[in-house]
Amino acid sequence: MSNRYSSINDNPQLDVLSVWLYALLVLVGLLSIYSATSEVNQTFQFSFSGPAGRQLIWIGGAVIIILTIAFANVAVIDYFAYGFYGVAILLNILVLFLGKEVSGAKSWFGIGSFGIQPSEFAKVATALAVAKYLGTYGVKFKGGKNVLYTLGIVILPMLIILLQNDTGSALVFLSFFLVLYREGLPGWILLAALWIGGIAITWIVLSAKEISLLWLHGVIWSLGATVIWFSRKNRQIIIVTLLIAGISSLFSAGVGFAWKKVLKDYQRDRIELVLGLKQDVKGMGYNLEQSKIAIGAGKFVGRGYLKGTQTKMGFVPEQHTDFIFCTIAEEWGFMGVTVFFLLYTGLLWRLIILAERQSTVFGRVLGYSVLCILFFHFSINIGMTIGMVPVIGIPLPFVSFGGSSLWAFTLLLFTFLKVDEKRR
Amino acid sequence: MELHRNRKFVYMGLVILLALVYSVRIFRLQVFDNTYEQKAINNALNKIPIYPDRSIVYDRNGKLLVHNIAVYDLIVFPAKTDGVDSVSFCKLMGMEPAEFTKRMAMARESSKKRQKNNVFNGSAIFMNNLSKEQYSAIQENLYRFPGFTVEPKTDRIYAVKGGAHILGYLGEVSKKTLAKDAYYRPGDLMGITGIENTYENYIRGVRGVKTVWQDRTYTERGEVTDNEFNSPAQAGPDFYTGIDFDLQEFGESLLANKRGSVVAIEPSTGEILALINKPDYDPNLLVGPTRDKTIRQLLIDPKKPLYNRAIKGVYPPGSTFKTVMALIAAQEGVLKPNTMHGCAGGYHLGSLTVGCHPHGSPLDLKNSIGISCNAYYCQVFRDIIDNPKYNNVKAGYAALEKHLRTFGLGSPLGVDLPGESGGNVPTVKQLDRRHGKNWKSSMIISLSIGQGEILLTPLQMANMAAIIANKGWYITPHLAKGIGSQKFIPEKYRKPQYVSVSELYFNWIIEGMELVTKPGGTAFGTGVDDIVVCSKTGTAQNPHGQDHSLFIAFAPKENPKIAIAVIVENGGYGATWAAPIANLMIEKYLKKQEASSRPELLERMKNSAVQ
Repeated sequence: MSNRYSSINDNPQLDVLSVWLYALLVLVGLLSIYSATSEVNQTFQFSFSGPAGRQLIWIGGAVIIILTIAFANVAVIDYFAYGFYGVAILLNILVLFLGKEVSGAKSWFGIGSFGIQPSEFAKVATALAVAKYLGTYGVKFKGGKNVLYTLGIVILPMLIILLQNDTGSALVFLSFFLVLYREGLPGWILLAALWIGGIAITWIVLSAKEISLLWLHGVIWSLGATVIWFSRKNRQIIIVTLLIAGISSLFSAGVGFAWKKVLKDYQRDRIELVLGLKQDVKGMGYNLEQSKIAIGAGKFVGRGYLKGTQTKMGFVPEQHTDFIFCTIAEEWGFMGVTVFFLLYTGLLWRLIILAERQSTVFGRVLGYSVLCILFFHFSINIGMTIGMVPVIGIPLPFVSFGGSSLWAFTLLLFTFLKVDEKRR
Repeated sequence: MELHRNRKFVYMGLVILLALVYSVRIFRLQVFDNTYEQKAINNALNKIPIYPDRSIVYDRNGKLLVHNIAVYDLIVFPAKTDGVDSVSFCKLMGMEPAEFTKRMAMARESSKKRQKNNVFNGSAIFMNNLSKEQYSAIQENLYRFPGFTVEPKTDRIYAVKGGAHILGYLGEVSKKTLAKDAYYRPGDLMGITGIENTYENYIRGVRGVKTVWQDRTYTERGEVTDNEFNSPAQAGPDFYTGIDFDLQEFGESLLANKRGSVVAIEPSTGEILALINKPDYDPNLLVGPTRDKTIRQLLIDPKKPLYNRAIKGVYPPGSTFKTVMALIAAQEGVLKPNTMHGCAGGYHLGSLTVGCHPHGSPLDLKNSIGISCNAYYCQVFRDIIDNPKYNNVKAGYAALEKHLRTFGLGSPLGVDLPGESGGNVPTVKQLDRRHGKNWKSSMIISLSIGQGEILLTPLQMANMAAIIANKGWYITPHLAKGIGSQKFIPEKYRKPQYVSVSELYFNWIIEGMELVTKPGGTAFGTGVDDIVVCSKTGTAQNPHGQDHSLFIAFAPKENPKIAIAVIVENGGYGATWAAPIANLMIEKYLKKQEASSRPELLERMKNSAVQ
């Protein structure tokens, strides 16, 4: 197996730009965690038991992970891809029985005061497994069986994590559908997903405003009728249109069921908040408002490092984990946000370039997996702080406080960078 | 493998699109919307008000009248009171549930408003001035009532039992004031009446603020060291009133068990030396936890103890008004010291008769005042308004009215107490309405002797005496003598106002006023030994029963130190009650001793009731 990678590129090293961007993001994270958890009149105080201290320990661990990967044989990654996947699935099942409950989700192994969240590592393992499977000779993302297997690899961990009651982490696996697009998943499926999402949102808005749902069906069918009128010569289109309209109508009925019976109260609240259907000053709405106040208070140049009262004083919830972006925006202002966005999107952009320069399907799928997972996290995490996306508790990779997520994302990124280094 | 290579542009596009959309949104939050920074500051800063002591109030001789004692208030932060057990709270504190709901609603509303204006924290005073029982009850149970806390403050305490209508009382700030003045928290005390109200802005002092950082749970997280956010409280400046409290108390004892009013003024300064109303109340009743209840009781008391007759009560001035009539006639050139008018038991004109008491006839000006002849002033009045130099009676009357208004009659003088009445000087229009378009001097002739449509407050009568004492001018009567170390008083209490009668004519009238307490005068026997008191009695008919007993005076004749007006409602002749009370007070003030030569008069005044 190892000779598959025997001829390596001319300049064998990890992609320097990506490593720098990674390092800067981790540094921004560390500084912000320190700020978000410090007292307002405090002179410099540092302790390894505080959040910043613990994050520093985890960064130390991340460095060990990076070094290990850097000096490991790249063949191990390929060879043990399924093995990792198996272990990750096992751990995620185990946590259902042995884990401790943290804010309603049973997704943590507690070891003393430290905890580890196996679902974070499931993302890495799934990325490796999907890459490995699609990279296998003779497998194409086409035809029933292969597609089914691929979807199976993605959906299995997703379901287990849903059982852990950690909806946010489970949703992250949807980012693999974006990966598959690069491998030939037809675009209309993604468009269909958008269409379905649109219907769902419309349904929610209509029912919240107590407008008759007949309007929704009416619009669907009149759209369909228009399409049929203009292409009445083409029987195929007529049939497809009728099919789509019928499914849409049925689906919108299904949404009602899911909305009322499947989603929990707090999930409905969060969605309604983002859609602006609910003004809730005390609960989630309060948190969202505080998050926006923190960001808005940053103005153009920011309130200054360590001077963000919104986050320090606990007005913003989860100020050093999921809402760490608030600290950045409050203290560094729009200028800081711009720099931060440049770093983040720079890394994402670089990942596209790197993924595209892979010569193997394995490498490319792994690259796109890294890209799409980071992209998903970034868009959801930032989106929720500014009220454009429902509050879904997922961290901002490399920046948020937390060992599991930092290690998992480091593992994910550097596995790919290692593969990239050894590309043919 | 290269089949879908172009799809990389979709990914690139998505990354750029996301970054752009989010940047625009964040730009809007951070740069376009200016409200968030203030919201963040309001969140994190807890501006705790520090209450200053209110001014300590003294009389003109430095006698302590009002000071402060430390008390405790119950404070509420409405935002923190989620799930508070209002039932057991009301039970513990003896509060009506409806009152609880009302106060909580008020606190919430004002809290929101003040958060918006960034004036102090969102707290409100829930209960003022806790009683000892309430204080110990709540102290032990504060943990059960989140959002409630106890704050120290001061309340008023009175060193004296009198002067209630001068000093006024404090009360909780009204909803109306709250709505227009963000300075106050619900439950704050402010001056409701008296100088406490007029000089509220000085007396309340300057509230300080201590700003601390607070976190989401309102827990203090250290002080804000920036001086911009902190200031000490400054106590209200020492407040000296012009009251001579010995005189005030003496006068109150004389007026005991009567209905009426006394106002004494130092003519040269306009400073009010005493302002007495009976019935009144002990100012010490209106402090402490029972304040509201007591106020409600006093308000419905049929004796009207809260009513400040001295500035709100309007009375016909009766014969005291003849002094002003004589002055105006002299100024108009229709009256000389030697002008003689006869009196045949009254003034007769056709079917009209204005009665008079028996006395010698004819009289000159001096004796017309000393004896108080009605017929004389009917003639004087007609001479003024039927003067051929005016084409008709209305023009003549208008000239008279103009003179009267320069004496500060017909509109509030501008004393530094709230709610002053202006009395009434009838206008031509008013007379038209009352007597029809074609009235004649004979139809309004009772105005000449201070009856009819003319109405004055006791303060205006006292000021009238001060004008005569000063021979033509007055300074608006006022209670404040000096506020703070600069002895500040408002500008309008420092500059003299001149009446339209020349100084020359005053001596003519003063000669007559001197005779009032002399043998043959209407108040003979009430005067003070070895002090020349210039005065005028009045006996005013009124629709409320017996005549009012009136008296105005100033003394001594040369370089007067005190001008005074006394009214005893339904007391009969001016000489019966008002004259003795005024003279006793003049003696007290000028000789610093009480009724040296006539203790029995003093006893009679003190111990008699007029109902």
